[in-house]
Amino acid sequence: MYKKVKVVPCSGIGKVFGLMAREAVLKTVLELCPEKSETVCLAYIVTGDIEVKEKIEGSNCITVDGCPKMCAAKNVSIAGGLVIEKLRVIDTVKEHKGKKFGSPTQLDADGEVVISEIAAKIAKKINELN
Amino acid sequence: MSELKVGIISCSGEECLGGTISRLATRKVLEELKLVATVTLCLPLYLAGGVEERDFAKVFPTISVDGCDKLCAKRSTEKYSGKINGFIDVSKIIGNETALNTKVIRNKDLTDEHLQMVDQVASEIVKTISNISPDSYSGKTFGGCGCGS
Repeated sequence: MYKKVKVVPCSGIGKVFGLMAREAVLKTVLELCPEKSETVCLAYIVTGDIEVKEKIEGSNCITVDGCPKMCAAKNVSIAGGLVIEKLRVIDTVKEHKGKKFGSPTQLDADGEVVISEIAAKIAKKINELN
Repeated sequence: MSELKVGIISCSGEECLGGTISRLATRKVLEELKLVATVTLCLPLYLAGGVEERDFAKVFPTISVDGCDKLCAKRSTEKYSGKINGFIDVSKIIGNETALNTKVIRNKDLTDEHLQMVDQVASEIVKTISNISPDSYSGKTFGGCGCGS
């Protein structure tokens, strides 16, 4: 049976980049690739509960992190996920110098543009797998 | 008089609406409701071994805000930093079915009704903070969270 790719953001709450990671992932799994991908709560992954362990272990995972600490990538790896791509919001943000992306609560229009680009990168990777 | 600092740790769960509400309500308390000096602790960093985050929760009163009854933020905080000072289960406030909605999660899709839920949860957070005894303050030497928030 085909297993959906797990796409997991950090959702860091202190900076806009955490929200951008979160929104990019949700756009991917809800709008761009709903048949091929799904997200799993990062906080749930870390609990180690059997249900989520079975979901993550050995699954293809794409992580999206808002800051260089790469918390989503680290936690998914520890949980046994196969991290096939580690995206960093900052890498796409660099291509939009001088823009305002919003706050950790709400994205501005430029923030939406960037998350669409990140979502497209995630979707491309997912589609390459299938 | 010493300043009372309180940590709020939100699950920000990505799978359902409850996670979005928990995140937005936590941000609302941080940005708008200046009851006490509130600090949000970055859960992913906390879980990845962020020493500053874990130390903060050990020395300052900390409450968790979870979107569903799995209570992941509460359980993780207690695992790494000991007993917390209060917890909120968003699903108990907005209803389990609403909290577990897996279709409406993105900020842009939220309706006025959802934003009212955010206000409701934010009020509960404030109420929970109000119930913390100022005597529980003990973080005089804490230097700040690792993510800089």
